[in-house]
Amino acid sequence: MRTAYPIPQNLSPETVNNTASLLRIVALILISGAAIASRLFAVINFESIIHEFDPWFNFRATKVLASEGFYEFWNWFDPTAWYPLGRVVGGTIYPGLMATSGVIYNVLHALHLPVDIRNICVLLAPGFSAFTAWSTYMFTKELKDESAGLLAAAFIGIVPGYISRSVAGSYDNEAIAIFLLMFTFFCWIKALKSGSVLFSTVAGVFYFYMVAAWGGYVFITNMIPLHALVLLLMGRFSSRLYVAYSSWYAIGTLASMQVPFVGFQPVKTSEHMAALGVFGLLQIVAFAQLVRAHVSSKQFQSLLYYAVVATGLLGAIAFALLTYKGWIAPWTGRFYSLWDTGYAKKYIPIIASVSEHQPTAWPAFFMDLQFLIFLFPAGVALCFRQLRDEHVFVIIYAVMASYFAGVMVRLMLTLTPVVCVSSAVALSALLDTYIDPQEPLEDQEESKERTKAPDASNGATTHQDSTPVSPAMPKKGKKAAATAASSSSATKTQTTSSTVTFILDALSSSSTKKSSSSKPRGIFGFDARLAVILNTIGMLLFFVYHCTWVTSTAYSSPSVVLASSNSDGSQHIIDDFREAYYWLRQNTEKDAVVMSWWDYGYQIAGFADRATLVDNNTWNNTHIATVGKAMSSSEEVAYPILRKHDVDYVLVIFGGLLGYSGDDINKFLWMVRIAQGVWPDEIQEANYFTPNGEYRVDNQASNTMKNSLMYKMSFYRYPDLFGGGQATDRVRQQSIPSPGPTLDILDEAYTTENWIVRIYQVKKDDFLGRDHKTANAFAQGKRRRKAKPPVRRKALLA
Amino acid sequence: MFLSSFLLLSLIALVAASPHQQIADLAAKSKGVVRLDADTFDLITAPKRNWSVSIQLTALDPKRRCAPCREFDSSWNAVADAWNRVPKDSRDHHFFATLDFDNNGHSVFQKLGLSSAPVVFVYPPTDGPRAAASGKTSPSKYDFPNGFEPRPLAEYISKHTPVPIPYKDPINWGRYITFAASAVSFALVLKYVAPILQSRWTWAIGTIVTCLVMTSGFMFTRIRNSPYTGGNGNWIAGGFQNQFGQEVQVVAFIYGLLSLAFLMQILVIPYQTSPTRQRLQVYLWTAVIVIVYSIIVSLFRVKNRGYPFRLFL
Repeated sequence: MRTAYPIPQNLSPETVNNTASLLRIVALILISGAAIASRLFAVINFESIIHEFDPWFNFRATKVLASEGFYEFWNWFDPTAWYPLGRVVGGTIYPGLMATSGVIYNVLHALHLPVDIRNICVLLAPGFSAFTAWSTYMFTKELKDESAGLLAAAFIGIVPGYISRSVAGSYDNEAIAIFLLMFTFFCWIKALKSGSVLFSTVAGVFYFYMVAAWGGYVFITNMIPLHALVLLLMGRFSSRLYVAYSSWYAIGTLASMQVPFVGFQPVKTSEHMAALGVFGLLQIVAFAQLVRAHVSSKQFQSLLYYAVVATGLLGAIAFALLTYKGWIAPWTGRFYSLWDTGYAKKYIPIIASVSEHQPTAWPAFFMDLQFLIFLFPAGVALCFRQLRDEHVFVIIYAVMASYFAGVMVRLMLTLTPVVCVSSAVALSALLDTYIDPQEPLEDQEESKERTKAPDASNGATTHQDSTPVSPAMPKKGKKAAATAASSSSATKTQTTSSTVTFILDALSSSSTKKSSSSKPRGIFGFDARLAVILNTIGMLLFFVYHCTWVTSTAYSSPSVVLASSNSDGSQHIIDDFREAYYWLRQNTEKDAVVMSWWDYGYQIAGFADRATLVDNNTWNNTHIATVGKAMSSSEEVAYPILRKHDVDYVLVIFGGLLGYSGDDINKFLWMVRIAQGVWPDEIQEANYFTPNGEYRVDNQASNTMKNSLMYKMSFYRYPDLFGGGQATDRVRQQSIPSPGPTLDILDEAYTTENWIVRIYQVKKDDFLGRDHKTANAFAQGKRRRKAKPPVRRKALLA
Repeated sequence: MFLSSFLLLSLIALVAASPHQQIADLAAKSKGVVRLDADTFDLITAPKRNWSVSIQLTALDPKRRCAPCREFDSSWNAVADAWNRVPKDSRDHHFFATLDFDNNGHSVFQKLGLSSAPVVFVYPPTDGPRAAASGKTSPSKYDFPNGFEPRPLAEYISKHTPVPIPYKDPINWGRYITFAASAVSFALVLKYVAPILQSRWTWAIGTIVTCLVMTSGFMFTRIRNSPYTGGNGNWIAGGFQNQFGQEVQVVAFIYGLLSLAFLMQILVIPYQTSPTRQRLQVYLWTAVIVIVYSIIVSLFRVKNRGYPFRLFL
């Protein structure tokens, strides 16, 4: 045997195997280390702090769980949220995340390790990313081999698409959900391959954990039935499939119904019907198979066939009827808007208003996945070569997830694992081919080839006889070859005919496992190997640099603390949010009610410990619309709303001074839209635009805009800041008219250092019973203008 | 004879007396949509009215070249037609009217301060049992929140009519027929295309094309209705979260080419029998990867200005 480079000859197979498995363990440990370390940028650059919005609620709930115990947490009614309605927390959340950190907290304390609950919450996501890497390794190993598994684990460990939702401090459901997703899929594949009830039970249990942890469990609920259905249609029904699916479905569904937030949904809503339908279908098919095995009469068999078809049809009609009658709830808005993409914008503006529900442009894909995004189709193509059951799974997953990721930025998270898996399959196939030291024999060379080329079609027909799969394959092969040849340069034209042969050989070898003449031959020479491998290493290195850069710059900002750089390049921390929230905590009554847009509800509850009207759990559209109406109407209209809801303080986010673009004026149109959805007669979006249809805040702004509470609160006393100069809004690059807006019903209570957060106190009723406008005018020493008698005006008109 | 002419006379007198009756007759005569001019506009929007009216202000004359007007006019007429089908006693409490700019309507446009068309105003009743409790008499404007579709229009106007407008979308026979025809023709050719459908490589190509197109932002352009290009030869949209239709094609092609290069290296090159030819192909496809990868990175730098890395371009 000739080799391209020297390899040691005197090693026993055991030594090789042992070393390989040791290396695998070491590699997995290093990958876990890298995955955890690259998520710590946020802690190092800022501090150990909970990020963003939803994590603050999770953190608050976890604190309740850790300090009061599980049953208290389960029955927790939070009177400060959604004031005055309150919120039954135990029944409206996915408790998996809090339960996980609660268990970790209690275990550590039982071991006398007094770790702060906050640090557990901050570091939970990085910790679970290591488990995700491991379960991706297990999954990919089932697909190809260990080396592909290691590559996949390395990819998912550092790929920005997953890091974006799992940096330290991003204490959200997704932090543990991706691990559960991958592990459930791994167990499902394993159960399907072996027909083992043990693995399908484990899959069911992990499915339950997933249901308890994340609303995205519906993805699993539909992926596994879809896989089973496709296998059924491909004629791959087997007792393994039957056992795996039935046990997974029975255990998983019964377990998932124990989560109060899910309850009876698995038998009542359309999202879950696919799983139930496939379950029923499998029972029918299995029954038919059983009967067929015992009955020989031909007539009876055809009768059976029609009976099965009729049962299936009847079942489908029953589903349709139940849906029509309203026994089965139709698709909920959030899921429905994935199919009918215009739906959310029309009917549920709250869902459309969230930035992570926007569609994804291509740079976002490249940013999050970099070179994996173009290795991914190659990996999917390689899955078609062997097309075992688990490959079918990856193919379905790839198609579904790439559609979903295109529709919603947020679902990039579900695409990332399959991209990592299939590009690892492609890359490891490439490396397998080019690292393999074995040199092919340089036999018969050109002469044989020349005789072979003209008879490409002959060769194809002989293959056709031997391949049961596809007579149409040679045609496909030629087409692929044609495109291949045309896309490469002109130098290749001479080799086209031979390429056809090789592609044909490659394709047919895949379907008929080594037909005689078409064994892969391997690579000649050392330099060709070196070129490919160096290129691959270069791409991997670039990927690492890319991931590090993206993670450190784009995904590691806590968003409650902002960073900018000084002129000398050092970091400058902008801490306005915490400044405002601590002011609220220190200076207001314990039972004060703070009104703000819903984005800040969880943070106010978490940081300032005050009651809020609306928060990020957007369950009550009318309540949110009420806040939207108060923000977008004039003072006279807003005041009764504020008073009726016992609002003591109003909090707005204003980025005009600093150029912070995520402020309330930029979100204002969504407030208007949501309010318009409930009060179309009183609030109209068009009134907030200039006659030319522009959204402006300068002196051309419409009167409705200038009189709205939001505008007034944002720009109150803002022009004073500029002395006599022109006041400029740095986000919208417009100048604010100089005598700024006046406020009668609110007092400015607090404005932070950079004016990002402004807090106003709502005035109580005037003690003389005057309205606030009159009282204010009196206080400023203005004389009350005598109103002209209305009678005389009428006379003038007539 | 005498009696009948007397009756007619008295009827005319009655008509002259009540503007409501006058409008109702106009509406009956014109099958639901009253064609207005400046005078009848004042009549129908009289300050004291116990009826409500929705008015379309438009410019249908071809010389005005108002494509949206014509597009909307059909929806308007469809909704008005649906209203024409409700019983007469409720029908006569709400009217549909159209005022054309060129049908002696410029003065109305001027009066309302309108510079664009089409515009829809709904005038609520000011008198009688249906007058708004809040005393609101000013018209409300329908600003096409969902485009020119008839259904949302009907839903909106229904808020102002005594009974909801019984509007139903016309049954799209064309679509059903096309669907049935394609189903039948598919069943007929099934025998011939079955081998293609059963080939895994057909499915492979379908799958890969779907993945490529979806990961190149196709759904973004569909949902946001991005234009194909930006005009004057500019096909790259500025900004990280924006893209044009042509970018989908270019990016999908680049990804596809790179994927193909990898597939060639994995699936085809190892089967070569001639060392020189194989070496040539190895270098060729490696070069393709390096160059095309550099292109996509430089494209990404255009979209994301702060990206610090670059390859050979």
